[in-house]
Amino acid sequence: MVLVIIIIACFASAAVLFFFQKGEEQPPEKSKGVVGTISDNWDTNVSDPEESEEKRPGTQIPGYSSAVMKSGDTTLKLRIGNPKDNHVGMFAKLKLADGTVLYESPLLKPGQGLEEVPLNKTLDKGEYEAIVEYNCVLLEDGTTPLNSAESGFRLYVD
Amino acid sequence: MKAKKLVTLTLAAAMVAASSVSVFAAELTDTDSTGQTEVKAHISGNAGNVSYIITIPDVIDFGELTQPADNTTDHFKDVNYEVKATKIDGLDAQTQSINVYVRDQNASVGGVDDFFITNKNNANLSFEYSVFNTTDPDSSSALNDNNMLQAVGYNLHSFDTEGDTMTGVLRFNQNNIYGYDITQIAGDYSGYMVFFSTIENK
Repeated sequence: MVLVIIIIACFASAAVLFFFQKGEEQPPEKSKGVVGTISDNWDTNVSDPEESEEKRPGTQIPGYSSAVMKSGDTTLKLRIGNPKDNHVGMFAKLKLADGTVLYESPLLKPGQGLEEVPLNKTLDKGEYEAIVEYNCVLLEDGTTPLNSAESGFRLYVD
Repeated sequence: MKAKKLVTLTLAAAMVAASSVSVFAAELTDTDSTGQTEVKAHISGNAGNVSYIITIPDVIDFGELTQPADNTTDHFKDVNYEVKATKIDGLDAQTQSINVYVRDQNASVGGVDDFFITNKNNANLSFEYSVFNTTDPDSSSALNDNNMLQAVGYNLHSFDTEGDTMTGVLRFNQNNIYGYDITQIAGDYSGYMVFFSTIENK
């Protein structure tokens, strides 16, 4: 009888611990693509931590020099996200200069982003002009548009 | 003794179950890019990573616009805005710069390429404003005085140094609303700018 009570107590403790941890660490939101994970503490990796202490006016937009993938790849290593110092929401869209859309994100709150982007289609070998569109919205409602930005870069497909 | 062993095993199982949640969470929030090495060998050390951060105005507010009593002289309402190269990583400043362009969200090459604010309740009510990339609009021409030649927009500024800030002016001539029935045009207006940035050779 005592043994049964102890076992039940152990499972109860594990369950409580599990739910507490679940509450602290928000599960990441799944992207619209096939794979890919949006993390909650995404950072540009180029921000100065000292500057990050205060929220400054304006919206920070990440920019890129280039990206590389192999023909047939269904993902692209590209750090797309909403810098943590921002106070707006962002919808990110990866597309080619000809308008071909490769990925569209759900609403990214400040500090959310991806390390690897799932692609809607594979690309043939070659060099492409690519763009990440950052459509900014009011964080409060997630819909009211603000000024937006586009970061152009060269995408190399081996 | 058997009972003690079972309790120990059960406790261990419970601990493993709990810690596996932490590991799972840690993996999901890992911010290290694992593609850096491969990319370095191919193009540059920064492929796929964030190379720079440009800070743009999220909103520019002209405030309350007033219908002037006459239109014989200009009635400008000017608002400053800033674009900043907040962070630059690995740019060869001798040969490269980050070029920033700007356009109205509805602008197109060969089509309507000016900047507009539009009544939120009546899309047919739009008024033009001018964009300057200097703080002295009286002695310079607006970007949109010329035709927009590239789809990405008007050339706004080139940055090659971290921390550089460009301050410009948006100018609304309130003569634009002169002569209208104010009850017909009153309301909230908004317009959206699109800032395009890219690394280019000097």
